[in-house]
Amino acid sequence: MSGKIKIMERKGKDLYERLYLIEVFKGMAVTFGHFLSNLLDNSKLYVRHYPEVKPEITARWRGRHRLTKYEDGTMKCVACFMCQTNCPAKCIMIEAGERVDGRTEKMPVRFDIDLLECIYCGYCVEACPMDAIRMDTGIFSVTGDERKSFVLKITDLLETPGAFTEEEYKKGGA
Amino acid sequence: MADKVKLFVNGQEVEVESGKNLIDAIGAVGIEIPHLCYHPALGADGNCRMCLVGIEDGRPPLVPACKTRAAEGMKVQLDTDKIKKIQRDIMELELINHPIDCPICDQAGECKLQDYYMKYDGQKSRMTVKPVLKAKKMDFGCGVVHDQERCVLCARCVRFTRLITKTGELGIVNRTDYARVNIFPGRPLANRYALNVVDLCPVGAMTSADFRFKQRSWFLTKSKGICRGCSKGCNIFIDHNREKYKDDVIYRFRPRLNEKVNGYFMCDAGRMTYKQENDNRLTVALLDGKETGLNEAVEALRRAVSQAKKIVCVISPNNSLEQMFAIQKFAANCNAAVSGYSDGYVIAGDGDDFLIQDDKSANRASFALLGIDASKAGFDAAVNGADLLICFQNDLSLSLTADALNALAGNCKLAYLGSNMDACAEKAAIALPVASATEDAGTLVNVDSILQQYAVAVVKNTPAFDMIHVVSQLGGEIKNCFEARAGLTAAVAALKGIDLEQVPGEGLALTVSEVPNVAA
Amino acid sequence: MSQLDILLIVLRVAFGAFVPLCFIAVLVWMERRGAAYFQDRSGPNRANIFGFRAGGLVQNLADAVKLITKEDVVPGHITHKFYFVIAPVIVFLIALVSFAAIPFADVLILDGKEYIMQAIPTDLGILWFLAVAGFAVYGIILAGWSSHNKYGVLGGLRAAAQVISYEIPMGLAVISALIVYGTVNLTEMVQFQGQLLFGFIPMWGVVLQPLGAIIFIVAAFAETNRTPFDLAEGESELVAGFHVEYSSMKFGMFFMGEYVAMFTSSAIIVSLYFGGFQIPWLATDALVNNTRLVSFLLMLLLPVLALLFGAWMSKNNRSHYPRENDPRVREANVYAKIMWGLVIALELLLVIFLISGSGGMAARILTAGLQIVTFLVKVTFMCFVYVWVRWTLPRFRYDQLQKLGWQTLLPLSLLNIFVTSAIVVALS
Repeated sequence: MSGKIKIMERKGKDLYERLYLIEVFKGMAVTFGHFLSNLLDNSKLYVRHYPEVKPEITARWRGRHRLTKYEDGTMKCVACFMCQTNCPAKCIMIEAGERVDGRTEKMPVRFDIDLLECIYCGYCVEACPMDAIRMDTGIFSVTGDERKSFVLKITDLLETPGAFTEEEYKKGGA
Repeated sequence: MADKVKLFVNGQEVEVESGKNLIDAIGAVGIEIPHLCYHPALGADGNCRMCLVGIEDGRPPLVPACKTRAAEGMKVQLDTDKIKKIQRDIMELELINHPIDCPICDQAGECKLQDYYMKYDGQKSRMTVKPVLKAKKMDFGCGVVHDQERCVLCARCVRFTRLITKTGELGIVNRTDYARVNIFPGRPLANRYALNVVDLCPVGAMTSADFRFKQRSWFLTKSKGICRGCSKGCNIFIDHNREKYKDDVIYRFRPRLNEKVNGYFMCDAGRMTYKQENDNRLTVALLDGKETGLNEAVEALRRAVSQAKKIVCVISPNNSLEQMFAIQKFAANCNAAVSGYSDGYVIAGDGDDFLIQDDKSANRASFALLGIDASKAGFDAAVNGADLLICFQNDLSLSLTADALNALAGNCKLAYLGSNMDACAEKAAIALPVASATEDAGTLVNVDSILQQYAVAVVKNTPAFDMIHVVSQLGGEIKNCFEARAGLTAAVAALKGIDLEQVPGEGLALTVSEVPNVAA
Repeated sequence: MSQLDILLIVLRVAFGAFVPLCFIAVLVWMERRGAAYFQDRSGPNRANIFGFRAGGLVQNLADAVKLITKEDVVPGHITHKFYFVIAPVIVFLIALVSFAAIPFADVLILDGKEYIMQAIPTDLGILWFLAVAGFAVYGIILAGWSSHNKYGVLGGLRAAAQVISYEIPMGLAVISALIVYGTVNLTEMVQFQGQLLFGFIPMWGVVLQPLGAIIFIVAAFAETNRTPFDLAEGESELVAGFHVEYSSMKFGMFFMGEYVAMFTSSAIIVSLYFGGFQIPWLATDALVNNTRLVSFLLMLLLPVLALLFGAWMSKNNRSHYPRENDPRVREANVYAKIMWGLVIALELLLVIFLISGSGGMAARILTAGLQIVTFLVKVTFMCFVYVWVRWTLPRFRYDQLQKLGWQTLLPLSLLNIFVTSAIVVALS
């Protein structure tokens, strides 16, 4: 098989480019242009003034997790461990127990997500057969002053509401 | 050995054992025929129809593989469109009333229905009517939880209670959609092998109350082991898992097939012995009941050994052959008497003619191999005037009354090497933690003189030293298991010519004449 | 010694010691804000004291507090703790000391006595710099070696090889400069550059020695371990190179040492090739003799500059998002008031000069002041070039670095010596 071979010309071989100094000055001219225009008018900077100006979060954004509930307030999670099994960061720690709220048989008695280990890949959401875990809280910044505070307990996860309506969430491709 | 016959599976020639049915014969060469109701120990029932295969020799178009014997020149068809459609249809029928509650089902991951759905079915349900609702979470007694909705009515459990335990607590009542496995009113499961139905059940209809919701089966590491519940030495799977930030914990024992020893089953009491491995462990060295470093405690015991005038080493019938040998050598070095006194381990009349034995220790037969005296008289003679008594995993509180043990602990210094915080460890002046049975490797000889080996299954986060290592630190000449095995083959007549590093998985029967039955 | 002698010694030493230290803050700020503007970012603009951010300078304070209060770790595997601790001190101290021989103004004649405006009034000049600056690398090698860490050792080795390669072209470039100036004394060199070529071009080193200037600047970049020659740090392959095991203020010393070295080498570049403290077309004598005119021109120039700066500040020092009662505008107003206050004070000072007339002590002091300002402006610009180059050029590969040093710069500098000598001999 003889394909058509195109030999690309290697750049930087002629004297002009090998002098290097001229190219250096050209590069410096480019950067200085940016510097000068930004110095003279800093409103041109490509910067979001973050804490004051918040980014727009879409329904597909994978934010902090939450556990969803049925309309009657009982949790959807049945402690099937699918999210824990699927989690590549192994940040979900579940302990299962007998269900006490009248639905089926099983529920988590402990459902911890270690946000310091979470990589926000969303595999837990994909794995969940009950649509019990979602990442639609719209919370993209989690802060705390001790490690413990980054381990979300089942109550924290249940309390957080979703940031989007059901239609928006579904439209987001979930 | 059985004769071999040649037959064709999907046009491919295979050589299988004759006299077996097609499922077993072809399964032995690695070709699976799906089946739900057939079980080698329970025989063919032929009610699930999952194993229907085609045979091209003028027979009826479809035959159940479980009822068909392998024969020379047979042409078995497994992959024709017709067979595949049959399998798919059977699966669809099985799943009509199935609740598909895999997320909350303990069987998920080791469920035949799941496996076969993925392999032979894989289609969406066409059911539009509501499934028949049946009872869930029924307590069948003996720690068996039954879920009627998940049941595929293969009747393995029913046949088990009829054929194996011969107690017949279970039956199938009603017909068609309303057929269900049930107990007789007010007559729950009441036999000592009842939990075997959990293993037998191909789906999640029978689950164990003890294991319920503890772990998902795919997290468990399935290590091979040998049960220490009695002198039968049933082969088991040790299902353990190290959860994140936690220790390696055993969650259940399951029987492992060994035709020579236990077949497919084990007793309920044996299953529950896994709790001894998890609970009430001796994890730190104790000096007069106070926690100390291991090195200090070993040093204290070594000093006690060097100062003592008369030492008695009490070996447990649960110690492995290698451990016993190492202790014997150690005792010989420091002029100590050796006793295997452990009458408390035997519960007379508790055994039956199936698996359960009177003797609740695993390795008493080795006493005879090594010539260790286990009599009460010998023990009394040895203890008389002794000032140091070292118990190697032997819980004397089982064999002696509390008063006798107190008197003994008063008369002489009591040292204890063991894995559990038992009554003897509490009384001991020096208690040293050693690796437990599942954390150590060794050799056992069971009541039928079958020599079996086990390997290290569980590795704790901070592993305890094994017994032989601790004994060697006390002054024993044998440093590890390998040295002990080399010494054993050289020293013990019955083990001459046996390579203890190469014991086959199903065990090795020792010649009976050389091992007298020592069931005390 | 008269009181004036003592006062001037104190003043010169203080200048030599504190100006580089103050410039650390300025240079760090310039590096960060400069980098940000080169990359269309905004840079540090949040740290403030009562809302005053000083254009981001306050961030340096925060950084300093952070570095000082951080845990000072000496890793357990380090056996030579003394060398480990002394290494950053060497780097910092050498950089500081090598500035001592650089003149920041022309010889000051007060009461008929001459005062050489250097921290150490020595005639060694450029030799002092060459001798002392070469020592800085010992700190880096020592740090890398005593860190007992493979990255550290590699960083130290790279630094050693790099300094050997680049000291040679640097020294040769200086030799050709010496041939031109005919002296090693830096003050005399700068005085030489105050002349005019053909009567209208300032006789700066860069005009007389263009090739030598380029070689010297490139070598100086390599000497200070700045991009594109910062292979001793080489984050991408050596994590942080020689200072990988350093934390807290020990790291801070390296950090500060790097900026002092940058300041010092900028000063030497300016002194050798950019006329040092000389104001173009205005030699010392011309300044001293025309104090009236100079102060009058300054009086005119100052308000114009202040006006331009004020306009720039009010345009840029505000929040770029809707904000009620923008505190940044208020901040800018305060700055503007302070600035105008300063301008008025300076104008008053200049009025005094106008009245006192030319000649005498006041004229000479004014001249020295102007020369110091000129010198600092030039050095600051050279430091900006350092920053500019850092955020324009990528780091060299190690073989490219050595190739450039030995196969390009070394022959070029030798050629430069021959050509220069030939011309000098021909002209004299």
